[in-house]
Amino acid sequence: MIAGPRSLFYRIGQRAYFARDIGRALADAKTYGPETIRQMRNIGVDSLPLAAIVAAFIGAVTAFQTRYQLFNGVQLSVVGLISRQSIILELGPLLTGLVLTGRVGARITAEIGTMRVTEQIDALETLAYDPVAYLVVPRLLAALLMVPALTILADAIGVGTAFLTATVATDVTPQAFSEGLRLAFAPFQIVYSIIKATIFGGAIAFFCSYEGYTANVGAEGVGRSTAQAVVVTSVAILVLDALTALLLAPYLQA
Amino acid sequence: MKKKRDDVLVGLMVVVTVTVLVLGSLWLARGGLSKGYPLYAKFPWGAGLKQGQPVWLVGVSVGYVDDVKLKQDGTLITTFRIQGDYKVPLGSSATVVPNGIFGDAAVALTPKGPNPRSFNPGDTVPVGPSNPGIAALTGKADSIATSVNAITTSLQRELVAAGGIRDLRNALAGTNRLVTEFGAIAAQQSNQLTATMTSVRRITGAVDPAKVDSVVGNLQTASANMMAMSSDLKATSQKLDAIISKVDSGPGTAAKLINDPGVYNDVRALLQRMDSLIADVKKNPKRYINVKVF
Repeated sequence: MIAGPRSLFYRIGQRAYFARDIGRALADAKTYGPETIRQMRNIGVDSLPLAAIVAAFIGAVTAFQTRYQLFNGVQLSVVGLISRQSIILELGPLLTGLVLTGRVGARITAEIGTMRVTEQIDALETLAYDPVAYLVVPRLLAALLMVPALTILADAIGVGTAFLTATVATDVTPQAFSEGLRLAFAPFQIVYSIIKATIFGGAIAFFCSYEGYTANVGAEGVGRSTAQAVVVTSVAILVLDALTALLLAPYLQA
Repeated sequence: MKKKRDDVLVGLMVVVTVTVLVLGSLWLARGGLSKGYPLYAKFPWGAGLKQGQPVWLVGVSVGYVDDVKLKQDGTLITTFRIQGDYKVPLGSSATVVPNGIFGDAAVALTPKGPNPRSFNPGDTVPVGPSNPGIAALTGKADSIATSVNAITTSLQRELVAAGGIRDLRNALAGTNRLVTEFGAIAAQQSNQLTATMTSVRRITGAVDPAKVDSVVGNLQTASANMMAMSSDLKATSQKLDAIISKVDSGPGTAAKLINDPGVYNDVRALLQRMDSLIADVKKNPKRYINVKVF
């Protein structure tokens, strides 16, 4: 049971081996270097519209709902404060990560899985290419760089739409919202958001690449791996989000 | 070609992201891109200051707290960054004031009044008296709660444990009984008063006002007659008094009859003789009465 292929420790061990292979492949910059830019385009630039739309709606809804949760007597600048904290600390990185899991993670698994079942990975090995350096490391580096970039833009878009929604659709004045935005702001809050986004980007690339890399033979195997990658990565993002908050939230205390 | 386009798009996105990150952070932290000129203040420990808090000049946000350094002499060397288009008048004082309901703080610069001269960059602003913050108010509330708790404990001991409430209840019950008795007495008195008033009303109702008027009129007439009679009596009395005085002292016949003892004696002798005559008449009527028929 413990040593079987379905046991938890076996799975953790397999992924640890995969991480070791990635670490080894990092030395092969000639292989993954040119491919990394292309993956950055796929993961970052092409995902920007989706991440922007999600962030825009989340920011608008957050500001709108926050305004109508306040009881009488609370200054309206609180809307700006809560919107900023909610979007930058939690909603921006988390929702961007979950959205990219569906859009980017599934694509990574499908691409690598298809190459696995069509034996293209074996062909790479035959040609003395390190398949991990060629397929996984570029995606991992691209995700580590572009998911934080997308999160920063999502944070900005979310706060911007929160500002517009609060000032246009509610009785919050631009001055009050701006005061709330700046109230008790610390640059570490931005750093915290970037740390989360980086962790989520790494999780998306790692888990989804592993699922594709170990896909079973046949189209069904690719489909199953893709579905499993999305589920595993989503759960991993939520767990990592909680762990990050547990470790870093005390440093956020104003 | 496609690879070159990828490079451009990725580079553009990275540049945009970094720009947004830098400008957004600066805007949130400083309220603008200008760093502003520095001013300093020395606050005591525990002022609740930290980097990024706003600096207000008579309520207007003019800068932010740039740095807070802890000194072992019990002070915080605080650096403000004031936006270049704002001047802080000389004579202003800096105080730490609460900002919002979440315990945040801000630095308030309060001038004594308009002053054309202002602090130069790098000057130290004197510190004014601090306002009580949320923590101080909470401490006050805590001490008040402690006092209230002590009072409550004392009341509990005196009123509950020592039987004060029982005594109060007994006193209240006694007062209640007393009030009830007073109520009963008052009700009884009220009934009697009601009966009396009813009788008075009945009697009053039975009296004919016309008769009363007539009686009163008669009484008035009688009174007037009595007054006239009294006047007559008085005049009569005066006349009698004059007569009596005249009789008593005067030389007239009546006075002599009344005052002369000789008359009395004569009258007495006369009466005695009259008695003896009557007796003799009764005894020998024929001597005096000689009736002859034919």
